[in-house]
Amino acid sequence: MERVATAVSLQQVIPDHQLNEWEHEELIEQLAAYDEQLERAVLAQIAVIWPVSHALCFAFLEQLHNGLRCLETKELAEWVKGILHAYEADGLRAARLYMADVENNFLCPRRGESGLTFAEAQGRLVPYIRGISGRGLQLEVSAAAATDTSTIFLPRDVRFYRDHTGNFQVYKLLATYQWAFISQDLYCQNHAQSAAIHFPGGRQQSREGDSDDILVRFFSIFPHQQLAQDIYHLLQTLRVSLFMQQEYPGLMRDLGPFFALLLENRPDLQRLAGIDYQLEKIRQWLLGQLSGEKASALGGDPQLRNIVAAAWNGRADNGDIFMATRGFYDAFCHDKPAYEPLQPLFFQGEFRPREAHRARLARRESNRQKFIEALAAILPPQAAAEAAEAEKEPKQPVANVVENGANVTPAQHHATNQAEPDPQSAEEPRFICLDDAQLELPEELRELAREIEEDLGSLPSFYISSASQRAGGQSRSPLKGPQQEEGEGLQGGLLYDEWDFRRQGFRKNWCRLHRKQLHAVKGTFVSSTLEKYRGQIMQLKRQFEMMRTQHLFIGRQRDGEDVDLDALTEAYADIRAGLVPSDRLFVRLQRDQRDIAALFLVDMSSSTEGWVGTALKESLVLLSEALDSLGDRYAIYGFSGMRRTRSEIYHIKEFTEPYSDEIRGRIAAIAPVDYTRMGPPIRHFTGVLSKVEAKVRLLIILTDGKPEDYDDYKGEYAIEDTRHALIEAKNAGIHPFCITIDREAQDYMGHMFGEINYTFINDVRKLPLRVPEIYRLLTS
Amino acid sequence: MQSQKIEEHFITEKPFYLPQKNELAVALAAYGNGLPLLLKGPTGSGKTRFMQFLAWTVKRPLITVSCHDDLSTSDLVGRYLIRGGETFWLDGPMTLAVRYGAICYLDEVVEARKDTTVVIHPLADDRRQLAIEKRGELLTAPREFMLAVSYNPGYQSVLKDMKQSTRQRFVALELNYPPPELERDIIRHEAGIEEPLAHSLVRIAAMTRGLKDSGLQEGASTRLLVHAGLLIREGIPPREACHVTITEALTDDHELVGAIDEMISSVI
Ligand SMILES: Nc1ncnc2c1ncn2[C@@H]1O[C@H](COP(=O)(O)OP(=O)(O)O)[C@@H](O)[C@H]1O
Ligand SMILES: [Mg+2]
Repeated sequence: MERVATAVSLQQVIPDHQLNEWEHEELIEQLAAYDEQLERAVLAQIAVIWPVSHALCFAFLEQLHNGLRCLETKELAEWVKGILHAYEADGLRAARLYMADVENNFLCPRRGESGLTFAEAQGRLVPYIRGISGRGLQLEVSAAAATDTSTIFLPRDVRFYRDHTGNFQVYKLLATYQWAFISQDLYCQNHAQSAAIHFPGGRQQSREGDSDDILVRFFSIFPHQQLAQDIYHLLQTLRVSLFMQQEYPGLMRDLGPFFALLLENRPDLQRLAGIDYQLEKIRQWLLGQLSGEKASALGGDPQLRNIVAAAWNGRADNGDIFMATRGFYDAFCHDKPAYEPLQPLFFQGEFRPREAHRARLARRESNRQKFIEALAAILPPQAAAEAAEAEKEPKQPVANVVENGANVTPAQHHATNQAEPDPQSAEEPRFICLDDAQLELPEELRELAREIEEDLGSLPSFYISSASQRAGGQSRSPLKGPQQEEGEGLQGGLLYDEWDFRRQGFRKNWCRLHRKQLHAVKGTFVSSTLEKYRGQIMQLKRQFEMMRTQHLFIGRQRDGEDVDLDALTEAYADIRAGLVPSDRLFVRLQRDQRDIAALFLVDMSSSTEGWVGTALKESLVLLSEALDSLGDRYAIYGFSGMRRTRSEIYHIKEFTEPYSDEIRGRIAAIAPVDYTRMGPPIRHFTGVLSKVEAKVRLLIILTDGKPEDYDDYKGEYAIEDTRHALIEAKNAGIHPFCITIDREAQDYMGHMFGEINYTFINDVRKLPLRVPEIYRLLTS
Repeated sequence: MQSQKIEEHFITEKPFYLPQKNELAVALAAYGNGLPLLLKGPTGSGKTRFMQFLAWTVKRPLITVSCHDDLSTSDLVGRYLIRGGETFWLDGPMTLAVRYGAICYLDEVVEARKDTTVVIHPLADDRRQLAIEKRGELLTAPREFMLAVSYNPGYQSVLKDMKQSTRQRFVALELNYPPPELERDIIRHEAGIEEPLAHSLVRIAAMTRGLKDSGLQEGASTRLLVHAGLLIREGIPPREACHVTITEALTDDHELVGAIDEMISSVI
């Protein structure tokens, strides 16, 4: 095509003055090289991208050449959609990454080979890993699989197979391996076991922080630490793989072909030499074992065979791996070798001792706090008072403690009822000696004490003295209470806990909930709603009236509360007549009367401003009209707030209040306020509903999307807290149900609300009629 | 309504029961002193089986009533019926037990309506009496009679929580899930399966029992494991058998179903 014509067309999508001269030149040149059809297609896409971002548009033009190698002209528009999607979700960098790999990011998904993302896998993977581990482990995305012993990291996606099933199995393998590394103590965090390991030449226990990190001391004896770590990690992988085969035989069997696939893709041994060769030999031997083919032999080197045997025998512990690592290093790494690490085994993931150590310290600190808090709560008052005394004379020991730890008597033998998921775990301490008195620890404290002992070797005596001081109220608590943190926080109101998924526990008294009144407004809102939906309201009322059942006596039953006189008379008549009388002579009270209490909780966050808010209010009017004819007990509240210190609920209708003009006025007064922190109102009304006597108690939440507050109550944290609050409601015998208005169903909904406990509505206009309908379906 | 014969309630064969702890000694001591018994524990943890074992041990009949919210006082105490033109009185299971000195076991007692359970109050204290209002009869229970009730603290709603005035009359025994080795032996025996399989089933159960915060109200009970074992012995492939007896029995939640199936396929 002629350059002039191209320039004219270009001007229609990018006004000349927005490009400098050489940009203009270059662009014309690029476009002119395309055939007419392609040029038109590209120009059309420039028109789409340019207004979004000029930088993105230039990036697109840069990558276009690359992209066109595997794209057809007609696929261009779709590709650009993908680019914009990446840009809008994660910015320019993400869009560049997206464009760079057309095959994987665009073509594969189009062929239905999208691989599996972590986001897709985690719904199933999280409960899976918590189930098999019996711990509240977290899963998070990272560049490679790894663990810090509190969190398991997994790659963003897995694309080994064309189908999700295969890829999910790979995710599952990765996660299970990392759990196995934790349970087999890859990072030597068990105090007692690490203390038993001796090795010559290690740096003496020196600095405070390192003193209990035996790995740091161990690796410090090697001239080439990276190499030593790789050897150690690989030998641990041998040991853990055998553990995996014993504990998860099904998984390892299923993944046999996957191990074979990995083996096929390992480098050719012939081309390797030195330590690379020896390490790779072990890797390939392991893959052979795991793939079930067992063909690969270790070869003749007896040293190598001995080292492998030291790890692969079912009895090896960390001490043996230390020895074997040392042995391998001494045998094959004579002088400081030139070492270029090869790709480790995919399922090994990365070795991250420093992160593990940090996580251990964090856990230690949180265990300390939890322990002191929990112990203080159960200490008898006189012990606490004595502790207070003791504080004035610091010489006197507070608790009856031995030199380096509390005098904790070991558990007496008793059969615990709980199935213990970790057979290795030592017995928990059951008693604590305090001034010669034995205090029996409750279940959770026992578990905590066991964890602390595992980490530190013994329960530090100051944990116990701090607890008694705390209980005595003499010293200011070392723990920051929520109130102290934000001094500005409003006083009064009700305190509620909040679920912190990262620590799998509650933040105590974290949120303050305040009750507020809504003042009825006069206006035309209600009357115009009634007018607008007149026909539908009449229909609703009829439908709802039909659901109403009175106490009903049904006659002619074989048994019942009372005699059915009609039937009896008939029976006598029958006898007189010489017939065999019926034995259905009783009446029975039909007891399926409606005994339902429903509480409606309406989102009043600022995002409901506009159509959504109006639709929400209209639904409440329709619902109230319908429920009034049915006679079910119901209450309506609004909720919003800002920050954890000001969660608010707005009173619209209590259970006992009749539906009246005043209530209609309050519905009309509903208006958007602040944010959506769902946990506190759900917990509050769980409490309210629990006290209502009814056969069925419903908590129906109307909202317009994700829970979110001004502070860090967002994303996963907010979703997990809301989910947990709903689970608490369910456990309290309440049926929570969420009606969500959103443009499209979101991934998190099923997880947050629980598959069967929510419905989402994508068309606001349908909401007012859908709400009563949903209620009808829920309760009949 | 068939009239119940007390003889039918004798347990003639020794039931298979492996004790978890000292429950038999405690129950026998309660029995010897005329104290009623409360068994606490999740469903399928062996409460019913234990009652059978206890009844067999003391050689008394066992009369079991499964409670539900439509259970009326007459269902427990008895009622008049008419047959062939004549009225006659039919003892309910409770009356039957009191008359003949049997053990009366009310399973899931909190499921019954409160006005129904009041009849057990005078039976559960030292009066040991049962009033049959319709006949104007007041029965005093013989020494051999015992009242036992069960309840599951796990999923009861606040409303259905047992009232203090009721529960404080009972000697309470907690029967939780048995410890792993014991549970393994139980399902080996009950389902007639080999030890390694029993061991795997017990591990799966343990994995499902810690998922309350993930939305699973209760984990797999011993009963479910027995069912899984029975199906496997019949030749159903193990993963399938576990899916239908364990996974689907525990939840309808899509994600949890997936997760539990994955636990199963890791172990078996
Ligand atoms: N201690 C036990 N000894 C023998 N069998 C047991 C034991 N505990 C549980 N079972 C098995 O589990 C099944 C369910 O127990 P069951 O007594 O019906 O539970 P529950 O009454 O607590 O709901 C029994 O049929 C039996 O097979
Ligand atoms: Mg039972």
